[in-house]
Amino acid sequence: MAGSAVLERRFHRWCLAPTLAVLAVVTLLPTLYLLATSLTPLNLTQPQTAWDFSQPARNYHLLLADARLRGSLWVQLQLSLWTVGLQMLLGFGFALLLNLRSRFLEALRTVFLIPMVLPPIVVAIIWKVLYTPDISPAHWALAALGWPMPALITHPAYALPAIIVADVWEWFPFTMLMILAGLQMLPQELVDAARIDGAGAWRLTRHIVLPFLRGVLLVAALFRLIDSIKAFPLIFILTDGGPGTVTEVTNYYSYLQAFNFSYLGYSSAITVVLLAATVALSLVILRAAGWGPRSE
Amino acid sequence: MSRGWLLHAAVLGLVLLILAPFLWLLQMSLKTQADIFAFPPRLAFVPTLEHYRTIWDTAFRRSFANSAIVAVLSTALAMMLGVPGAYALSRARFGAAGTLGLWILVSRMAPPIAFTIPYFLAYRHLGLLDTRAGLVIVYLTFNLSLVVWLMRSFFDATPRSLEEAAWIDGAGLGQAFIRIVLPLSAPGLAACAILCFLYAWNDFFFALILTRTEAMTAPVAVVNFMNYEGWEWGKIAAGGTLVMLPVLVFSFVVRKFLVRGLTAGALRG
Repeated sequence: MAGSAVLERRFHRWCLAPTLAVLAVVTLLPTLYLLATSLTPLNLTQPQTAWDFSQPARNYHLLLADARLRGSLWVQLQLSLWTVGLQMLLGFGFALLLNLRSRFLEALRTVFLIPMVLPPIVVAIIWKVLYTPDISPAHWALAALGWPMPALITHPAYALPAIIVADVWEWFPFTMLMILAGLQMLPQELVDAARIDGAGAWRLTRHIVLPFLRGVLLVAALFRLIDSIKAFPLIFILTDGGPGTVTEVTNYYSYLQAFNFSYLGYSSAITVVLLAATVALSLVILRAAGWGPRSE
Repeated sequence: MSRGWLLHAAVLGLVLLILAPFLWLLQMSLKTQADIFAFPPRLAFVPTLEHYRTIWDTAFRRSFANSAIVAVLSTALAMMLGVPGAYALSRARFGAAGTLGLWILVSRMAPPIAFTIPYFLAYRHLGLLDTRAGLVIVYLTFNLSLVVWLMRSFFDATPRSLEEAAWIDGAGLGQAFIRIVLPLSAPGLAACAILCFLYAWNDFFFALILTRTEAMTAPVAVVNFMNYEGWEWGKIAAGGTLVMLPVLVFSFVVRKFLVRGLTAGALRG
């Protein structure tokens, strides 16, 4: 039997080796390359700037003084907090609704997933149509009711809220799914016991359901928070970061620096910061969900 | 009873409200240019396939093929590399499993630009810019992690006893894996493959940066309809509909597994 355990171990190593080798080549190597370019003033229009490590910390010093970057972080913060908050609220509401025992609602569950499975670029196109006054049924309907609406995505005060609405529409099904899965693990005895003790719907939700879901809610919010850092197609199609820079999130600013202004070195430094935030939040997820080294 | 009906009607109304933006694009793709700009919007109109016909005769068809080829190849590669690894992670006890979990999660969650910059620079030297091979490799960054992440929890849920029975009958470890474990996991494998396909198909950012004309994918091609003067809304709507069609069909096929895959294994169990 000892011999077979050794064989088994060897077999597992052979299964795992190609996976890890390729994963390392496609993810770790590029990350190291990104770190390296972040230490250079790389600019594609000036070839001599590649691999110039004479002032490695320069980009990071520039980051601290960059007002446009600070502005983008503020936009990012607003976008993240509003979208995650609204998605959690809507997701919770719809999950409670879909958790009711009914065949009709079960059949509808899949339909609710449509916004999040659509290609993000199609979601962006859909909202571009809705936000373009010439062809938008929403603009027409509001005008017909006597409340003409200004063009939202070109308006400094409404552009960010417009993006937030589109993003919430796209991703509330995700929080809904996670919370629904959590609700379905809620032990019925707990609910019954609380009912017998005379708890109404409100107190039941507040004292039984919410505490039970705490872990799921945290993980769902963290997943959305990390994803909100990546927001790209909506901003690219709807506002292009504008008007001015009111919808320019950090990810978008980094994209502009790299691929519009050709400052790849500086953009790499911004991206390293974003990546560090992703790693930190992922660590929190792993802790929160208890998937560290497995205990079973 | 009547309260039940009321609830159902309210839910149906909500569903329609939520799906309205999506349905609007669908009906727009079937309208003539004049109908699109008609106010008030016409709900009853004579549908036309004009826009579909026009875009199918342009370079869009090629982009559509590119999308399909790249998504299929990247899925196949990710599955071949990832499934054995996921199996080993599920069955063996590796000390570094926690670190590995973080690595895989970060690969999935990292902002695409973190990979785009180094890939863009490397591809300029390797001659992989604007090639389908280049995209296939980039898509491994998220699809390989997805396969390992999903299939590991899938294998965790399949009993070991069947493989052990096969070993007792004299099958080797590899044989037991290929003849017993894989066939038993067929539904999970299929669903996982479809999810990989969808993630590759839905990508916009990598294709935007790493392709120009030759390897351009459908999502980027649709956006290009926006750059011409006069905004060809009919073409944009038809192109958008074509891009989402495979997604809707496949999502419907794997709707049960979708829940697990879309939450990216976020819930264990």
